[in-house]
Amino acid sequence: MNTELEQRLRADMAQATQGMRVPPGLALKAYRHQRKRTMTARAVTAAAAAVLIAGALTVAGVTGVFGRPAGGQQVRATAYVISRVERAMSAPGMTNVIAFTRTVFPPGTTLQAVPGGLEGSSGPVGSSAQGGDYELLWASLHTTKWSVFTPAGQRVFDERITVRNGSITTTVVNYTSHTWWTTRSARPAATGSGSASCVPGGGIRLSGGRSSWPDFVRAQLACGAYTVAGRQAVGGVDALKITGNSGRLTLWVNAATYLPVRLDNGGLQTDFQWQRPTPANLAMLNMPVPAGFRQVPPPA
Amino acid sequence: MGADRAVQDLELFLAERGEPLLRTAVLLAGSKEAGEDLLQAALERLLRHWRKIEGDPEGYLRRTLYHLAADNWRQQRAWRKRLRLLERDAGAAAVDGTAEVDLRDSLVRLLRQLPPRQRAVIVARYWEQLSEAEAAQVLGCSPGTVKSAASRGLRRLRELSESRGPAERAAQGSVREQRS
Repeated sequence: MNTELEQRLRADMAQATQGMRVPPGLALKAYRHQRKRTMTARAVTAAAAAVLIAGALTVAGVTGVFGRPAGGQQVRATAYVISRVERAMSAPGMTNVIAFTRTVFPPGTTLQAVPGGLEGSSGPVGSSAQGGDYELLWASLHTTKWSVFTPAGQRVFDERITVRNGSITTTVVNYTSHTWWTTRSARPAATGSGSASCVPGGGIRLSGGRSSWPDFVRAQLACGAYTVAGRQAVGGVDALKITGNSGRLTLWVNAATYLPVRLDNGGLQTDFQWQRPTPANLAMLNMPVPAGFRQVPPPA
Repeated sequence: MGADRAVQDLELFLAERGEPLLRTAVLLAGSKEAGEDLLQAALERLLRHWRKIEGDPEGYLRRTLYHLAADNWRQQRAWRKRLRLLERDAGAAAVDGTAEVDLRDSLVRLLRQLPPRQRAVIVARYWEQLSEAEAAQVLGCSPGTVKSAASRGLRRLRELSESRGPAERAAQGSVREQRS
């Protein structure tokens, strides 16, 4: 009985908040409001400041000793890393995650939505009205959604791809031309054996979707196509830095799960987050067509 | 300078993760405008503690949203006054898109009638699908409190849902028909 109510509640909550976007400039508004409040508070408390500063200096002197970073970062041996990867791969829920990535493209890049994916081309700086765009991607087991924004944060287009029953459905909403299109095509036959193999040039080849990332890391380290280059904190995550032999690719993987945290592909940087498939996160894969948008035929 | 950088970082963060946070805030606060206000209040608090926060600010921001909605929010009188005003406006909404959403998403509308803390528990458990232990951590209470608040909240929602008048149900039906 409760389950039915819970399901209805979830569906209603998703529907009621669908398509809501953070108003632009909210952080600046918050900053200004906060600053105004701080200035007022400072004026009121100015008289007590001298006493507080004396206390603060004492505290700073003490924490300075404990706050010193540990000397010398240890580089893990490849064999040890591989054994940890294998353990991470067997963790429950490994396949039930939502990937969220953010990629910033160099100025001059033109991105275009095409059936089945994105096409990018580069030209001289300033040649593209969409140069320096960034792209946000959400991906679950069967669905991937891209949103491409201008550097100023204006949405250019959304693209969603759903792979089901041997076919790929692509839907694109273009916010510049206020149009949308959808198309379905047959899914290309899968290649490869399904297990990760060595990529000698240090490239990236995933044989089984995003859940095969740890498998890929293990295979590349084992065959020497990638080497462990250190340990760094990336966006607050303790990460292993591994570099491909070509020198073009550097991958930072979470030291606990071996899922990627950051990828640098010759200067093109992608940041990864791995989210739980909560209704809130699954809702990010929705792509409503705004009212008034005109349907057009898909590009050839 | 430093502040500009913080605002810039925060704008980027909001571009990435703002949408689910806003949706949670809207559900916690009861309306879109109030949700934006709640998110802004949480952002202000985040900026106040910006230097102390290491790594991903999302966890901090999420906890703050829940705390403001469930507890501290009561102490912020100006904010509450504004919210009430907005709720009243929303209730008296004319026939427009907003009213249509309100009728269609009846349980969300009923959710507004729950006390803030109960509503926060319901959002944490059934929107964000946090476990009782996780919800307790976010809300700063015990898992037992979460369990009982969720149970009471669901019971109340069911009662409210069942006590809706036939006229209201008919209105909801007519809106659905118009949309189809």
